[in-house]
Amino acid sequence: MRFLISADIHLGSPIRSIALRNTDLGERLKQASRDTFARIVDLAVAESVDALVLAGDVFDNGHPDLRSRTFMIAQLSRASEAGVPTVLIRGNHDALLDHRAYGELGPNIHLLHKDTPTVEIGGVAFHGLSFDAAHVETSFLPDYPRPLPDKRNVGLMHTSLDGSPGHDPYAPCAEPDLMAHGFDLWCLGHIHAPFERVDGPVLAVMPGIPQPRHFGERKGGTVTLVNLGESTPVFERRTVSKLGFSELAVDLQECTDQQDIFRSLRDGFLATQVPHRDIAVRLTATSLRQGADFVSELAEEVLEGVEGVFLDKVTVMPPTRPPGNETDDLVRLMREEIAGDGFRQSARLLLEELRLAMPSEIVEELDDSALDTLLEEAIAGVMLALHAERPE
Amino acid sequence: MRLNSLQLIRYGRFENAEIVFPRPACDSPDVTVVYGPNEAGKSTAFFGFLEVLFGFKAGVHPYAFRFERSDLLVGAELDLPGRGAADFRRNSKRSQSLLDANNRPVAEAVLASALHGLTRDKYEERFSLDERGLRDGGERIAGAQGDLGQLLHAGVSGLTGISNTLSTLSERADKFHKKHGRGTALKSGNDRLKQLGRDLRADRLTADRERNLRQDRDRTTARFEAEKGALVTAQKRQQAATAAQIWYDRTEEIKRLSEALTDYPDGPDVPPAVAERVAGLVEKIASLETRIAEADAEIADQDGVIEENPVDTLAPALKAELERLDQMTIDGAPLMDRATTARADLDRRTTERDDLVAEIDEVLASLSLSEVSVSAVVLDAAELEDIATAVEDCRKAKDAVDAAEAAADAARAQQGEAPSEPRDLTALRDAFEAWRAISDLTALETERDQSLARLTRSAAGLPSNWADLVDAGLPAPETLEDAARDWAASAADVAAAESGFEERTEELAEAKADLLALQAAPEAVDIAMVEETRRRRDLAWNSHRNAMSSESADDFEAAMYEDDDARAHFLTGAEARQRRFEALKREENVKARVQTAEVRLGKLRERHEGLSEVCATLAIALGLEANAPPAALGSRHLALVTAASAAADHSNAQNALSARRAGKKASRDVLNEAARDLDLDPEQDDLAAQVQRVLALEESDRKTWKKWQESRKNIDELEKKSQNQMDEFTETQGRLDRLTSTLPLPDCSVEGVRAALPHLRSLQRLQADHRRLADRVKALRQAISALTEGAQRLSAISGEPVDEATSNPISVIDQARARLSIATHADEKRSNAASRREGADKARRRRTVELEAAQNDLSACFELQGGEELAPRDRIARLVKRDQLRADSMLADQDRQKAVTGVDEDLFPEELDLMPDATRALVLEQELKDSQECRDSARDAQREAERLYREAFAAADRSDLATERATLLETLRRGGRQAAVARLGALAARGALRRLATERRSEMLRDVEEAFITMTVPKWCGVEVWSQAQGEKLVGIEADGTKVPVERMSAGTMGQLYFALRLAGYRSFARDLGPLPMILDDIMVTFDDTRAKAALQLCAEIGANGQAILFTHHAHLVEMARASIPGVAIVDMPT
Repeated sequence: MRFLISADIHLGSPIRSIALRNTDLGERLKQASRDTFARIVDLAVAESVDALVLAGDVFDNGHPDLRSRTFMIAQLSRASEAGVPTVLIRGNHDALLDHRAYGELGPNIHLLHKDTPTVEIGGVAFHGLSFDAAHVETSFLPDYPRPLPDKRNVGLMHTSLDGSPGHDPYAPCAEPDLMAHGFDLWCLGHIHAPFERVDGPVLAVMPGIPQPRHFGERKGGTVTLVNLGESTPVFERRTVSKLGFSELAVDLQECTDQQDIFRSLRDGFLATQVPHRDIAVRLTATSLRQGADFVSELAEEVLEGVEGVFLDKVTVMPPTRPPGNETDDLVRLMREEIAGDGFRQSARLLLEELRLAMPSEIVEELDDSALDTLLEEAIAGVMLALHAERPE
Repeated sequence: MRLNSLQLIRYGRFENAEIVFPRPACDSPDVTVVYGPNEAGKSTAFFGFLEVLFGFKAGVHPYAFRFERSDLLVGAELDLPGRGAADFRRNSKRSQSLLDANNRPVAEAVLASALHGLTRDKYEERFSLDERGLRDGGERIAGAQGDLGQLLHAGVSGLTGISNTLSTLSERADKFHKKHGRGTALKSGNDRLKQLGRDLRADRLTADRERNLRQDRDRTTARFEAEKGALVTAQKRQQAATAAQIWYDRTEEIKRLSEALTDYPDGPDVPPAVAERVAGLVEKIASLETRIAEADAEIADQDGVIEENPVDTLAPALKAELERLDQMTIDGAPLMDRATTARADLDRRTTERDDLVAEIDEVLASLSLSEVSVSAVVLDAAELEDIATAVEDCRKAKDAVDAAEAAADAARAQQGEAPSEPRDLTALRDAFEAWRAISDLTALETERDQSLARLTRSAAGLPSNWADLVDAGLPAPETLEDAARDWAASAADVAAAESGFEERTEELAEAKADLLALQAAPEAVDIAMVEETRRRRDLAWNSHRNAMSSESADDFEAAMYEDDDARAHFLTGAEARQRRFEALKREENVKARVQTAEVRLGKLRERHEGLSEVCATLAIALGLEANAPPAALGSRHLALVTAASAAADHSNAQNALSARRAGKKASRDVLNEAARDLDLDPEQDDLAAQVQRVLALEESDRKTWKKWQESRKNIDELEKKSQNQMDEFTETQGRLDRLTSTLPLPDCSVEGVRAALPHLRSLQRLQADHRRLADRVKALRQAISALTEGAQRLSAISGEPVDEATSNPISVIDQARARLSIATHADEKRSNAASRREGADKARRRRTVELEAAQNDLSACFELQGGEELAPRDRIARLVKRDQLRADSMLADQDRQKAVTGVDEDLFPEELDLMPDATRALVLEQELKDSQECRDSARDAQREAERLYREAFAAADRSDLATERATLLETLRRGGRQAAVARLGALAARGALRRLATERRSEMLRDVEEAFITMTVPKWCGVEVWSQAQGEKLVGIEADGTKVPVERMSAGTMGQLYFALRLAGYRSFARDLGPLPMILDDIMVTFDDTRAKAALQLCAEIGANGQAILFTHHAHLVEMARASIPGVAIVDMPT
């Protein structure tokens, strides 16, 4: 048996990157999550899998946007007409999958929930439970059916497992308990970075988000194909995303002129290129002479000649020096200054003022816990501005 | 670190070049002036020095033009602390590029340690200065507005833009967000985000909305289908009516045409366009008959022309002979063109040739060579120029020999007797200068006492632990100002809010009292009371109706009166109720306002408490009581900063005094030892006077000895030069002899040859002219002979004899040409006439054939048709008219059949029965129009419903808005972070500058003042610091005591202040970490002499603390340095 496993498609969720300011890229990616979902169905049909498995969070939010739901049904019907059934569960974002509110999904599309937790396809029993509330802090595992004897058993679960950095606990579940439940394969969702776990004959797959939405999700972009035979299931990742995120570090200290910088940036960008896929690059340049604005302008110019690569963000950092080996009085004294309680109190007030004015979605950027990092950037910023080349 | 020498081994245009920086004498500053003209390679040398220290820069190398980058090599001998002198080399490799003198790799740490971790950029910023840097530095420190911290930073780091940098950072942050700012990026972004949120919510497709839209669409679709069916029926009816009308009309027309055809002859239909064809044939026959007659006339005319132009039989022979003459040439030109002028030209050229022979003879005579052949004397132009050059070289060499001998003789005459060599007193001089420099401790003791007094004054009134507070770090003044300002504003807000709350409370009490008064008023009967009295009256009536007793009647009456009173009161109390209602409403409004005021007061008090806590924390950090008024924070901060500064001054002064005392004792011991070596008695009180006398005597002897040595060297150089000139003269003379050896001149000396040169040039020119004229005469004679022979041959052909002596060959040739022209003309006429006659004959035969064919075609057109009695044109017109009537009849029948095709079979007979009916079409047209309007209306409604349904789906796809929102959030996230970083950076930098001012102010200010006065005396006499609430400012003091803030100084003075700051920065670095070479590149080009001398003294100051290297291309600055800086080393740039 061969399955295509995906999760966390987040239909309707936009990509968050300043790279989308590029009109061409923005136009290509405004429906990125939908296009990627269509690619997943294409792949399922092309590979003639026995089932398409979606482990939750097909939609991004609970707003009753029927267009997204219509799109999903159209795509899954396409798969169904090509002989590929779909098994799916609701994640914490999936209110639109509610039958009672919005009607049936269609033939060969099996939504598993507490009333219908099991469906059998081609001799394989699929078991799954759906989220009924946006936030569930207890484990679903005790409520899962026991494995059917003389069948291959596959579980679908949307869970944060033991907890993951950047994710609140959602239906937490201890990994050893999961692997010991008796299923042959677990198809998981919720964590956006993909991984797989093998414990004896049991395989658990977290396929990750198929279309990363920002730099923090750069490890995503794939789905997982699984062969379920008599022994341990075998898996293979396939890239489906239209846009990937990448980081690039370039040292500009040795560059003597603008042409040198141009060449260094171009070499770096060319190394990040991926065929048939757009890449948004987060560039970190090391320099004491060039400011971020200058490097950004030059990078934009370079990228006009590099196909498929776009600029996500530019950071310029001065070269670091070993502690205590600082001949620059200003840096030394700034470090003394920022260590004082008085200064730190002023700095926290300053951050609070900015937080009050900024949209609530992004205030965590200036959280007090980020103060030390911000202060290091502040010192680097002053030094860069002071040393940056001035136009002749 | 000291730079002893720089080796440009393969670098730029240099190969194996070296610049040596001599070590100074013990009492001299370490200053080297490197002199070289523009483009001598000073910048190359500095670049090379930096590359020795820090390695080659990556990329295209600016000095890899003579040698490849991979071959570049530079080296230096450096004094390194703890290691002494060491040789280093640097190549362009990426690793292990630092080598020792034996080309073995050396660890970079060796140099990095001596450079104290400085990068190449920072070394350039801190240890080099050029004229532009000095000028720009002066302009930029004006932006610091005298801020002490910023100025000292400029001196220490060499970076002058910190004022602009901090302003830029603050402006950048303000552009993103500023309190109460309207046009900020954050404000615009927030507004746009709100709009995007509204748009996204507005277009969301809910299930209810989708269902309603779908039902509308289905309903309108059904109606549209029904109306479409009705329209089709109306269209069919109209089609049937139209067909019936056509059928009826065409049937009537066919009848009429059949009657008309009985008047025309029988016969088949004529072919199409036969009428035009008959008319054309008739016209063609007439035209052909006319042209045949014209051809007969042309044939007769051409026969006459042939008889008038017979053939000339001699013309071919004449033509051949004339062509032969035309082809003959002389000197490349046709012979005939030269024939007319040849005779006259021959005589003139012969005379010119003879005149030239006479001129040549005269020149030979003037050279005394009359008997010699001219060819033996004539030379070509190059040989003559070589001889002239050799003559001039001989003359110049002879003059140089004479001048060199005269100079040597004069120098020998001036040199006197040799003096004795002076003895070496370097050790004594060094010891004496070292002792004298530090013998006076008065200034340092005074400075220490003054600093202690300042410290005592500054610390008065401060808590005993004030120093601990300073060490723990003081809050930034901006924070204190902001906190005090916010606290005061908050206190005012709270007071205003309390006042407002009290006013609202009083207002509420008034409102309640008013309401109570109105409720107690007798008019204030409300509807409930009226209803109650009415209910009681009804009860009483019911009771009375049942009982009909007097009691019940009384009760009923009472109830009636009560009810009437209540109703009367209710009716008359409308105004009172209105007032009570308004009072009630007012009470509710005032209550709401009281609550709002209370909530606001609570929030303001809470905020005020928070600010009070902040102020309390700041007050404790400044050593004040927690409840100290916030206004006192600023003055306490200033007092603490001033005290900290005074403590630093005092500590520095005390340390300096102790170090000076120890140094004084050590230097006296060294001086005593040196004095004993020269047999002086160190125990005597006048040891200093003794030493000065001995040193003065030695200096005088040394100058005399040095002057005699220089004179001897000069004489040797002049004698050597004289000998070199003599050798050159001998060589030139030999070359002249070789060149004139073949000439038979009577005098072959330099002057003899020089005198003969003009004559030799004339001979060369005359001989060339003579040869050219002789060739010309010969060619002219040959031309005349050839013409005469040609004329004789032409006469023989035409049979007319010629007299050779008298006749002109040209006229004979012209006559022959005329006869040939007439014959050729007659041939052309005859040929043309024959050609025309033949053409006319051919045309006549062709047209005769065409005429017969046209007559046959015309007969065929009327075959089997009647009407022979008519002319052809009339006959064919009648036949065509007959055929048209037949065609119209057939067409009408076709129209009739066509009209019924596709027409409804049931409706057509119905409509045909109604014919003829003049109004039927109009009636059906109106019915169709009505049906169409209904259909269009239904269609529009259906399309609109469909459009709304589709647009709802399309509008739900606001991925563009969602993308814009996400991108905008990312932009604001980045902008917020950048703004925070910029604000924090500016805040930290300002605090750091205050710390710098506290830390460095005492020692650097002293150095700055000393250097500034040195450069600007007598206009300026001091530098002072003003303390203000915002910090400390530097001011200059003019000679009359006027204090001038830095920002009001002139540009020149500002530049000098900047130089003084850089000098102080250098001293500070040298004191802390040891000296490094300071490179000064022509910084004094814009200074007048007085200021340049002062600046040179400051260079000497740098040299006294470390090493100063001054590049210049001005010779006068070299001389000035030599006069101003004792022991300065002057070296030239290598060539």
